[in-house]
Formats: sequence, structure tokens, C-alpha cells
Amino acid sequence: MRKIKYTIAVLLGIFTINSCNDNDLELSNPNELSPETYFKSETQVQASVNAAYANLQTRGLYARHIFFALDNMAQENKGNPQLEGNKKPFLDFSFDASSDIIQFYWETCYLGISKANFVLDNEDKINALPNSVLSQEKKNKFLGEAHFLRAYYYFLLVPRFGDLPIYTKQTIVGNPRSPKEEVYKLIVSDFDFASKNLLSKNVEDKGRATKEAAFAYLGKALLYQKKYDEALAAFNKVTGFSLETNFYNNFMDETEHGPESIFEIEYDEKLGVADKWGSDTAGDGVAESTLRGQEYGNLGWYNVYPSDNLLDEYEPGDKRFGDTFYVPGSKYNNGNNTMTAANFSSSEGLRRAGWKKYQNYYKRTDENLDSSINFKVMRYSDVLLMMAECESLRSGGVQATAIGYINQVRARAGVPLLATTLTKDQVFTALIHERKVELAGEQVRFDDIIRWGIASTQLAGTGFKAGKSELWPIPNRETSSNPNIKPSDNNPGY
Amino acid sequence: MKLKLKFAIIALLMISYQNMIAQSKTVQGVVTDPSGFPLPGATIIVQGSNNSASTDFDGKYSLKGVNPTDKIIFSYVGLVTQTVAVGTRTTIDVTLVESAQNLQEVVVAYGTQKRTKVTGAISTVTSKDITAVPITNAESALQGRAAGVTVVNGAPGSSPTVSIRGLATMGNSTPLYVIDGVLTGNLSGLNPSDIESISVLKDASTTALYGSKAYNGVVMVTTKKGKKGAGTLNFSSYAGFQRITKRYDVLNTQQYLKYAKDLGSDLTARAAEFGNINTNWQDEIFQDGVMQDYNLSFSNGTENSTGRYSAGYLKQEGAVINTGFERYSFRANNTQNIGRLTVGSNIGVSFSKTNPERASGGRTLLEHAIKMAPYLPVYNANNLGGYQGPSTADGQDAENPVRVANLGYQYIKGLSIIGNIYAEVEIIKGLKFRSQVALDYFTNEDHTFIPSYSDGSAHKQAYSSTAETNSQGQTIVFDNSLTYKTTIAEKHHLEAVGVITKIENKFQNLVASSRYYISDEIDQLRLQDANLASTSSETNNLGYVARINYDYDDKYLFAISGRRDASSRFGSNNRYGNFYSVALGWNIAKESFMANSIFSTLKLRASTGTTGNDLIDNYQYSGTLAANYIYPINGAAASGVTAGRASNPDLKWESKTDRNIGLDFGLFDEKFTGSFEYFNNKGSDILFAVPLPASVGSAGGGTQTQNIANTKVHGFELSLGYNDRKGDFTWSAVANLGTSKNEVTSLAPGVTSVLGGPSGRAGLESFSRLEVGQPLFYFWGYQTNGIYQNQAEVDAALGAGQTTIQPGDIRFVDRNGDKVINSEDKTNIGNPYPDFTYGLNLTAAYKKFDFNCFITGVSGNDVFNSNKFDLEAMQRLFNASTDVLDRSIVQNGVVTNPSATLPRALGAGQNWSSASQRYVEDGSYTRLKNVTLGYTLSGDAFDNHFTNIRFYLSAQNLVTITKYSGLDPEIARVDANANSAGIDIGRYPQPKSIIFGLDVTF
Repeated sequence: MRKIKYTIAVLLGIFTINSCNDNDLELSNPNELSPETYFKSETQVQASVNAAYANLQTRGLYARHIFFALDNMAQENKGNPQLEGNKKPFLDFSFDASSDIIQFYWETCYLGISKANFVLDNEDKINALPNSVLSQEKKNKFLGEAHFLRAYYYFLLVPRFGDLPIYTKQTIVGNPRSPKEEVYKLIVSDFDFASKNLLSKNVEDKGRATKEAAFAYLGKALLYQKKYDEALAAFNKVTGFSLETNFYNNFMDETEHGPESIFEIEYDEKLGVADKWGSDTAGDGVAESTLRGQEYGNLGWYNVYPSDNLLDEYEPGDKRFGDTFYVPGSKYNNGNNTMTAANFSSSEGLRRAGWKKYQNYYKRTDENLDSSINFKVMRYSDVLLMMAECESLRSGGVQATAIGYINQVRARAGVPLLATTLTKDQVFTALIHERKVELAGEQVRFDDIIRWGIASTQLAGTGFKAGKSELWPIPNRETSSNPNIKPSDNNPGY
Repeated sequence: MKLKLKFAIIALLMISYQNMIAQSKTVQGVVTDPSGFPLPGATIIVQGSNNSASTDFDGKYSLKGVNPTDKIIFSYVGLVTQTVAVGTRTTIDVTLVESAQNLQEVVVAYGTQKRTKVTGAISTVTSKDITAVPITNAESALQGRAAGVTVVNGAPGSSPTVSIRGLATMGNSTPLYVIDGVLTGNLSGLNPSDIESISVLKDASTTALYGSKAYNGVVMVTTKKGKKGAGTLNFSSYAGFQRITKRYDVLNTQQYLKYAKDLGSDLTARAAEFGNINTNWQDEIFQDGVMQDYNLSFSNGTENSTGRYSAGYLKQEGAVINTGFERYSFRANNTQNIGRLTVGSNIGVSFSKTNPERASGGRTLLEHAIKMAPYLPVYNANNLGGYQGPSTADGQDAENPVRVANLGYQYIKGLSIIGNIYAEVEIIKGLKFRSQVALDYFTNEDHTFIPSYSDGSAHKQAYSSTAETNSQGQTIVFDNSLTYKTTIAEKHHLEAVGVITKIENKFQNLVASSRYYISDEIDQLRLQDANLASTSSETNNLGYVARINYDYDDKYLFAISGRRDASSRFGSNNRYGNFYSVALGWNIAKESFMANSIFSTLKLRASTGTTGNDLIDNYQYSGTLAANYIYPINGAAASGVTAGRASNPDLKWESKTDRNIGLDFGLFDEKFTGSFEYFNNKGSDILFAVPLPASVGSAGGGTQTQNIANTKVHGFELSLGYNDRKGDFTWSAVANLGTSKNEVTSLAPGVTSVLGGPSGRAGLESFSRLEVGQPLFYFWGYQTNGIYQNQAEVDAALGAGQTTIQPGDIRFVDRNGDKVINSEDKTNIGNPYPDFTYGLNLTAAYKKFDFNCFITGVSGNDVFNSNKFDLEAMQRLFNASTDVLDRSIVQNGVVTNPSATLPRALGAGQNWSSASQRYVEDGSYTRLKNVTLGYTLSGDAFDNHFTNIRFYLSAQNLVTITKYSGLDPEIARVDANANSAGIDIGRYPQPKSIIFGLDVTF
């Protein structure tokens, strides 16, 4: 009898141990931070802003796809046979809504927007921090960076897709497309906020958005809407910059953040590249290099080469030619080596040239998958040329002033200065040329010829179709997952 | 008088008593198996009484108090129970034979059950089937032998993909594995020769006891235990080799050069540089892999204890270069009886080393091999590393697959400990308490080292790289159960079980990598360009289980069970789930009106019940931040943090309602046996990571896990077995057939369809789709209708003016007739699930020869062949299928060869980037999975140095009949992720193998 009692006692004991309480079932993730306790320190606020920058580096943008897509469409590039199938359609405008490149571009921009919104959604939490933890100036600056980045991503999207779904808060519900005018309104107001709250380049950390960058992009966004006077006013606030004496300083690793540089997309291989083949869009992990060098380099994959049309655009004696392209006879590897004709061979025969901008050959004999050279996406010479455009096209614009801006750029290039007597139309023609040669291979020309309305003539015979090819299609990934954007809502012709 | 009377009464009583004694007698005899071995521990019972005995070491028994009118029942686990009328005999020797199909004692959740009392759908595979065919992993034993179960093997050392009764979920469809009561995720550490039996539990009445874990069915593995009797020593071994014989038909150098020229690249000079050689890159990556396997086991038992100890060694070279698997396995199973207490343990330990198939640039070796230029040599001593790959001059960038596979190394070293310790006490007669602690522990060390190399301009690495991932996981299951078993009034059999079970699961890993620029000599991590990260996770489950089985006289069976389960994977709102099952059975053959029928078994069963599924990632219900962002600021890495995965606090159990009807029959004393099952299962609240609109920009994969859909799966299974004996010739045939058909019946409000799943190739769009009324993840794409032959055809179809589509491009069917081809024209272009799967197992024995032949197959499924993208896309220059020689040639806007089946080269992007019928093929196949011929020598002729020895020769996958153009229709069919079912991305093909083996019992 006693035995049974013991047995029962033991059994009860075991059952009690076994029937654990609910605490064992309430587990929190040890690997990830909790949103409830976030935004408590400067480091945390800063990190939330940093995350929004990371999408600039993705393969969807500057690590890989954007330079192909835009340089190909502008016909600055021609493709060698090894150019991958998903990049070829940008040469002849045969892409459609299933293009992975278009999908990646769309996704990574919207991921960046969402991350900026994460900061802005928590504006109250940030502003509630005591000034001893985070000064009001820094609070404004961090919010300013978020506004800048949100506008930057929308400004990457709107020329490509036109009307866009707009998100100013994080959500999981897809919005319908809003007119592109609405998008520009948001872009302008975001850059405007940023310009009032960001720090100047001379005090801000290298790599972050600055007050001057905000003004430059504000001006550019206004210019794209043909609001020349307002744009000019913004450009005039981009102060403290000058042209590099040596044009090529804009394209080397060692001379980043120079006097001409207003905003750069940062790469630094030393910080790690382990996740570079991870997501095309997320911007997560350690992926601090770009494939530009390997993809374009004539001693690397040489997937594309500069088109004859572009090479022929340069005036005799334009110093930029030798800084933009390698040709047989060019020195490389610190002047120790010389390119030969065979260095420009493809399976279709010899090419005239290869890209030099953003290549590492100036100091090395070869490329690898990891280039550290930043993209100078806003240079002072671009601002000068945009100012010239605004001045020339605004009502009451003074052509001589506009020509003065262009001549600053031409003087450095060692080409004859333009006569200050040119007419408005002549100035415009000069601008078309100047932007083409100054900013070749910098993903500027396609947007230029679209907004100038000269794409059909400039791109005649390429497959460009007016009324369709100005815009990319909204990717299938969106129309299949957003009930508010259907395939039939897509851009004309897709 | 009084005294006399008393005496008289006593005498009478004594006489009558003596009469009684005289009527009953003692029966004795020997119980043996068909080969004449004595069976120790067989149960002998007088029918309808408690009078029983069991056999001793020599198979002898003695049973007192038996009447001539009695019937004695002889039973033994795994053998057909025999009932013998006593009559006048006092010695009854019995040979118990194995059934062609059924185990008489079946392992079920938390216990065993007599086959006659089973009311659910269970398939069993016995050790005899398992060891008849040499296999390297335990899961393979189920292939084709258990109706409704599909098994597909992968590379050596990888766990096969197993699915039971088709697909009802959208996530992980792996069944629950239970080894001697230990819940585990796969059987990779288990030596197949240690397995006594495998039961596959297929319907809710059998699986509901595992509640939240049982959604995909349960595979119950029982390992071999010691048997009472003198010790038995067994040694078995096999050796053989395997080979992949099928190749894709690709261009040779001469054909490739011409093809390249047509695509605008003149490579003649380049090929001449290498001497116009012809490298067969597929031959370079496949090899004859040698396999060897050794097993030693010892088993013994006394009155109060049994034990079995075994050790095994398996070494398998893959049929792909530098792949292989090596495993040392050890197992010790013990039981001890101490009065009413039984204690025991079953513990298996294994060490393994896997050399996985290596990949580079996100592409499989096979993809590289079929795309490489044939004029390039494999090796080039002038290149760093010694290999030749393409440079820019070759106009392509497939990597040298031999370098990918052979330069440096990768291994995965694993340790697995799976075991349990239990104690069982009989508190009062019929009431047992059992307590069991089970452990599933593993570690994995995945180490990769790649020295510096330079194959050509496209592929090079200026440093040596080392990467290591160390992971460790443990699951502890603590079960306490009470079982009460009784018989009331002889005919009411009742069994009740109550269990409390607690599962604690922990996982952690550490991922590290570094580079070294100075030397290739060091293959260890160092602090140079180093990366380091660790993660850990935890899951807890708690379950309360109850089951009651009742039957009246073995005729009318009734079973009911319930389980209340909690999982930490769900938020507090929906953490608990309740599951139940009810089942009925009727043993018609036991009815008196069936007494003289030909049916030895005839049983009708029906069951219904629910199970759940919590196989989603951990912590999905809680919101988190993602901290894995980096951006260079001031030349240093600035960390970024943002809102992570979209959380869903309302996540709840995925649940499934199973309904099953079964009929078992046996005719002519079980010579002919069979069973038929019909099932109709409904899945509700199926969990799926739903893609969010891309534009909302959700970090963490852009998905949110939601209870999104309801599904149904229905089908039937038929198993038939026949066995016969004519003199020395015995033979049997077992055939099974299973069908299953699944369909999405509803999706969450607002969701009309979901596109997901990998396409298998970069640049090829996704096409696996969920839609109401369609199979799960059917292929959604364009129908094709030939090739545009001229501009008039293009204009007629698409209107004049567009230039994207030209003559020579594929004509996609414009289903809505709007002259625009877009996703509104897409439709169902393929169903990845077969109409039916089947298996046929033939065995025969004549004197000392034995023979086994095993055929398996599937029918009616579609495969999306991503390899066609590599071989026929013609989007740019790679080596290609010889079919491209017959592509459309366009001259002056007209296709000059209208019979061509492929479009023009370098044509419109949609030709290759769009999912279309172009890539979809019939995946049906019939495969001669195994043929084995064996010969057994008895030890008599060899001074009894051994008891017997069996030699056999066996061949696997010798013949495959299929129309599928890929290397292997079998691997093409499934994947562990439901949303990539039926997509062939070029996985490891199943090799043919030839094996010689021997099996000695001492």
C-alpha cells in the first residue's frame, strides 16, 4: 500500500514537472531587435537612417543593373556577345514587365523608401528623446537624411515608371498609382525639408547626404518639371564646390569626396563583400563593392563597349576622351602597361575602345568582382550644366550667363570656349553635346533626351518606340501582388 | 451416516476432479520460423482464456490445462498468427510464416496494435524488405513499398524528400519521423540494417496523437531489439559502384563553332589556340562512384533482459566528382525486467562526413558543364590553380565545373545522437505507467576552402578563402503516459492511454569566413577580411494526449483520441490547438455468417480526425527589427537597422481534417491479401509566406506569413499481395497504387492568386501559382502555338507597328484576343503532381536461391525543365543542346525552315524569359528500381562455423522508361519546398548501381 502511495506521489511529481507553464511558450527572438524598445539613443536613430542608404548599393541599383540599363538605353553602350540576356533588351527596348532588372530596380527603390518611412514613422519617438541624448540639430539632421533618401528613391523611380504608388508611411497594403505630379510634389517637399535640416559637406561625415546635395537634387527635380526659376534658385545654394582640375579625379578610388563631388554612392571592398550574391534588392548583409569594373572593363568581362556614336561625339583635343575611354595605346596600371588592340577583342572582332571611367585599371592590371570606386552621382559640373539649362530656358534668361556655366566645364576639358553670343537654340544644342561627353556613362543621358523630347530622333533605329519606350513597365511582381495595380493599369504599350 | 455421506461427497468430488484432470492435458512443442530457426518469446495462448505461455530460448513451450476441444493461438511479432485445434495431440510444433503484406503487430503512436484491431491507414515495411535491397538511407526503404508514399533521393548524404498522400500544405511537407519514440526531422543518422520495421501513419486516426507535428503524416521507425535466446552474431557487407549514364546531347566543338558564328562570334581562331579539342564536360563531372557498406551486430537475451549492439560503416563515392558520403553508426538497444518494472534504452550514435556537390555563382555543376565551350581544355598548367575557364575572347562565362568541384574542398562533418531511456511499471494489473526521455542531438561542421585561382579573365580569385558554419541542435522530448488495458466479460477489450508530452528544441549556429592573400597553404580561418555571425533559436511544444480503443470480441472496433497542443511558434492569441480523431472498424470475417467463406480477413474501417502544422519559421508572430545593413560612412562600416519582416500576431495553426475509408481483405488463408483506402482530406488556414506588394517595401523577404488558404486532397490507395508455395518454390507479388489530387479551395479575403517559388534560373520569371480551383503551385504561363513564320503572321496576331516580336519568335497564345501578350494571357500550363504512383515488388525463392525485383513509377505529372533554359534559350552564346541546330532561321523576314521547333537565336526576350509551355514536359516514368539475386549457403557443410551465409548481386535503376528529356525524371519531380515541386533545376541525378553483398549469421 505504501508502495502505491509512493508511486502515485512520484507520478504526480513527474506530471507536474511535465505540465510546464506558458512562460516556456512565450519566446522572444534572440537574433533580432524588438521594435518596442527601439529609438532610445543616438546610435539607434543613426542606424535607422543608415539602413535606408544601403539600398543604393544593391545590385538592383549601383552594384550592377542600373548602369547597364540606363547606359544601354542611352546607346552609350553597345553589347558584346557575352552580355547577359536580361541586359540586352535595354539596347533595343524589347524589355517587358517580366524583366528581372526592372523588378529589382522597382523593389530596391521601394525598400529604400520603406526604410526611410520607418525613420519618419518614428519621428515622434525621435523628437521625444531628451536633447541631452540627441540634440535638436541632430534630430533634424537624421530626419532630414530620411527625407532626402525617400525623395532620392522616388526620383529614381518617377522618370522610369511615371505614375507611382506613393507611400509616406510603412504599411503592408498596396496603394494604387498616383499621378507623377503628386510624386514630384513629394520629392520637392522632401528635398526641401532635407535642404533646411541637413549639415553642410564640410562638417558632415563622408558618404551622408548633405545640405548641398539636397539643394542640387531639389534643383534637378524642379528642372525635370521645367520649373527653371525655382530650380536655379536651388542650384544657386549649392555653394563651396569647384571643378576638379584633373577630370579623372572624379573616377578614382583615392580621390573620392573631392571638391566637385556633391553626392556619392559609397563602395569600399575592405569592409567586406561576403553577401554580394545575396539579394538583388534588400541591401542586407556585407556587400560593399560594385561589379561595374568587372562588367564594363575591357580586360574584365567586357560585356559592353562604348558606342561609335558616343566616341565620335568628342571634339578633337577633348581631354575627357582619354579619361573616359581606353583605346589601343592607352597607358594603365600606373603607367606601367599599355593597352594593345588585342585588349579590345571580342568574339565578334576588335572594338575601338573600352570604358575607363570607374575602372580600376589606372592602378591595376585587372579587375575583379569587387570595385571600391564610388559613383559620383551628383557632380558640380552636372550642376553647372543644369544651371546653364535653367538660365537659358527660363523666361528672361541671359544666354551669356548660361554659356558662362558651360564654359567653366569646357575650360577644364581643354576644348575651345563657346562664344557668348550664341542664341538660345545654339545654347541648347551645345548643352546636348556637353552633357553627352561630360557625363558619358554616368546614367544621365537617357533622362536628358527623354525630358528634352529628342529621344525619338536620338534613338532612331534602336527599337525605341515613342509613346512607349520612354517608360518602363510596372514589373509583374507588383501587378501580381498588389490588388490595386492590375496588369491592365500598366504603362502604354506594355 | 453423516460421516459416510461426507466421504461419499468427498469421493465424488475427487472423482469429478480427477475427471477434470483427466480431460485437460499439457501440450508442448517447438515454434520455429519458416527457415527452421526456433522462435524464442513467441506467445501461446488458449483461445478465450488467460491460460498462456511463451517459448524459451530454444523455441520450446509447455502449456498446462489444455482441453482437447481448445484452440491454441500461436503469435509472434511480425509473423502470421496461427490458431490450432488441440484434439488428441500433446505435441504441437508450429511454423509461423511471414505475411506477404502485413505485420500482425503494428507500431502505432505511443504503443503497438494488432493488425486486426487497426482502424486507421497504416503501411508497414519490415526489416526483410529493408535489407533485401542495399540502401544507404532509411527513407529509401519506403520507396514504392508503401502505398501513397513517395521518396526521392538526392546527392550522397542528403536526406531524401518524402511525402505522404500528396501535398496538402504550402510549406514544408516533410513527415514527422519517430525513431523508437524519439521525434526527429530525418533518418540520416540511422543505419538501415538496424531497422526492425517502419510504419507509415497516413490518416488522422493514427496520426492525431502527434497532433501539431503530424500534418504531413508520420513515419514510425522501430529499431531491432535483442531477442531472447542464445546470442546471434551477424555480419553483412556490400560493395559496388554507381554511374550516371545519361547525358544531355550538346554541341561538339565543330557544331559549336558554326553555331557561334551564326550568333555573330567567330571563335575559330580561339578554338585553334587550344588545338581544336573536344571536351565532353559532362563526362568530366561524372564518375564511377564506389560504394561499400559493413555491418556487424550482436543480439542476445535472457529471461529478464535483452540487448542488441551494432556497428556500421558506409562509404559512398558519388557519381559526381568530389562528392561522397561516409558514415560510422553505432547502436545499443537494451531492456531489463525487474519484477513489475521494465527499464530500457535505445541509443544510436553516428558520425558522418559528406562531400556535397559544389556550386559556384549560384549555378549547379551540371549547368556549368552543359554551358561550357567544348573547345576549352579542362586543365591549363599556365593558369593559377591549373584550370582553364573562358575569358572575354570566348564570349561566355560558364565556369569550369571541374575546377568548381575539385579545387579546394568542402566537407560537412556531422555527429548525431538519437536515443531514449524509459521506465515502465505495472502499477496494478493492466495499468502501466511509462516515462521516457528522448534526445535528438546533432552537430554539423561545414567547412569550405578554396585556394587562389585564375581560369581566364572571367573567373579568378586572388586569395584563398575559407568558410565555416558550425551548427548544433537538440530536441528533448519528455513523455509520461498511463495505459490501462482490460478485458471485461471476456469480450469487451478496452485500452486507454493518456500522455503528457513536452518538446524543447534549441538550435544555434556560427557562420564565419575569411580570406588570406599571402598563401594557399593555410585552410583555416584567420582575422583577415573576416566575417562572423551567430544565430540561435528555440521552440517549445506541449501536448496533452488521450486515446481510447475499444472492441467487442475483435469484431467491432472503436477508437477515439484527442490532443491539446501548444506551440511557441504562435502568438498567445492562438497558441493552443485541439486535435481529435474517431475511427470505427468491423472485422466482417469474424462474423459467424462468414465462418465458411474464403475470406480469412475482411475488415472495413472508417476514420476521421484532425492534425495540425506548425512548420513555419520561428518567431513569425512577433515584430522585429532587421539589423543586417551596412553602408560605408567615413570609410567605416556604419550599421543599419530597420523594421524587419512584417509580423502577424494573429497567426494560428494550420489544420487538416482527414477522412479515410479502408477495406482490408485476405483470401485463402492469407494467400491473397489486399487493402483499399480512400481518403479525402481538407486543409484549413494553410500557412504561407504571402508575397506583399513589392512597392510596400517590406524588409525581410517581402512576405508575411499568413493563414491564407484552404485546400483539399483526395485519392485512393490499393495494395495487393499474393504469395504461394509449390514444393521448394515460393513466390510473392505485392503491388501498390496510389493517387492523390490536390486543389486550393479558397484563399484569404482579398487574395485572388499568389505567385511564388523559384523559376530555377536567373532571368526566367516565377510561375508557381496558387489560385482557387487549381492544384497547389501549378505552373502558370503562356501556351505556345508554334513559331511566327513571317511578318504578316506577327502583324495579324499582334497588330502592325510593334517591333519586339519578329518572325522566328515563339507565338504565345493570345487568350483574351486583345493583340497584346501580357500576364492576362497566362493559364495553367502544367500540374506538377502525378495522377498516380505505383510500385510492384516480386520475390521468389527456390531452394537456396532468392530473387527480388522491384518496379516503381509515376504517371501524369508535368515537369518544368529549367535545364532547357540553359540548353535551348539561345539568349546569348553558351554551349547548347544539339536541338538548336534545328532552330528557326530567318532570312528577309521569313523563316526558311518551317519545320523547326525552336525559335530564332537571340530572338525576343519573351522567347526565353517568359514561363511558357516551351519548358514543360511530361514527367511520367517507370523504373526498374532494383533486381537482386541471392544464394544462401547453410553452415552444415562447413562444420557449422557459421549458421548460414547469403550472397547476393543487386542492381539499381537499371532501366527507366520515360519521355522526359532531362537526366532523371525522378529527381525532377519533387523538392522539399512545396512551391518548387516539379521544377528540375539540374539536381543530382539518380545513378545506376551494381552491388555485390554478403550476409553471415554465426
